[in-house]
Amino acid sequence: MKILIADDSRVMRQIVIRTLRQAGHGGHEIVEAENGREALELVHTEAPDLVLSDWNMPEMNGIDCLAALRAAGSTVAFGFVTSEGSDEMRQRADAAGAAFLIAKPFTPEAFDDALRSVL
Amino acid sequence: MTPELDDVLAVTEDVWTALLGETAPLVPRGVPAGTPFDATGAWSAATTVSGGWPGVVTVELDETVARQLTARMLDLPADATGDGDIADAVGELVNMVGGNIKSLMPGPSVLSLPSVAAGRAAFASDVVEACRLDLLWQGAPLRVSVHVPA
Repeated sequence: MKILIADDSRVMRQIVIRTLRQAGHGGHEIVEAENGREALELVHTEAPDLVLSDWNMPEMNGIDCLAALRAAGSTVAFGFVTSEGSDEMRQRADAAGAAFLIAKPFTPEAFDDALRSVL
Repeated sequence: MTPELDDVLAVTEDVWTALLGETAPLVPRGVPAGTPFDATGAWSAATTVSGGWPGVVTVELDETVARQLTARMLDLPADATGDGDIADAVGELVNMVGGNIKSLMPGPSVLSLPSVAAGRAAFASDVVEACRLDLLWQGAPLRVSVHVPA
């Protein structure tokens, strides 16, 4: 499986990759994007099976990226990894077509549960 | 409306444990009101919440703490981290603390991207301190503060 990780923080991308490994999902191919616009382009060129995206990013945020993907007909599985885990944000993510929202700080178990829902 | 100090402490401890793993505890530190953050070398980061609840969440860290936090987040030796890494890590720290505090307050609100600086934080004249948490980690200081419009 190919996973696209979109986050403007290189540190957080590293933590997400490490947490995937700790959750037993270390064997996947990883592609990285620094913002939503880059993620949007990479979905088209790399055809990932899953996008794990931050919400707040420069250039294009995660929710706008998801909206652009769906508007373009993409059905790629998309989950948020964000510091904002309120009910309001979860409802917005769900309404936009996200499969899940993992709130930071997170655990390997949270990643495992979320990934199992889309694998 | 301002966040409860206990909630800010719980958020900070959760984020700290998640980023650093099992580590030395954060210890409360008595600091008189109005005292600027007093680390010799410091890093600071802030994020602004606007909308249903307006506020500014700021984190200030002793430089040693910032470097060790960064090293732990990147899984590198402390002396292998550069200023860019530290800015990234401290920004992510305030993003997590700020995002979780935002989730506790009335919405809908928007969280800004973090701004990070080498040095202690400077605050705008149109905000007042609503809540401040002074802590020690391995003997070095850090501070989390919340400011709201005056």
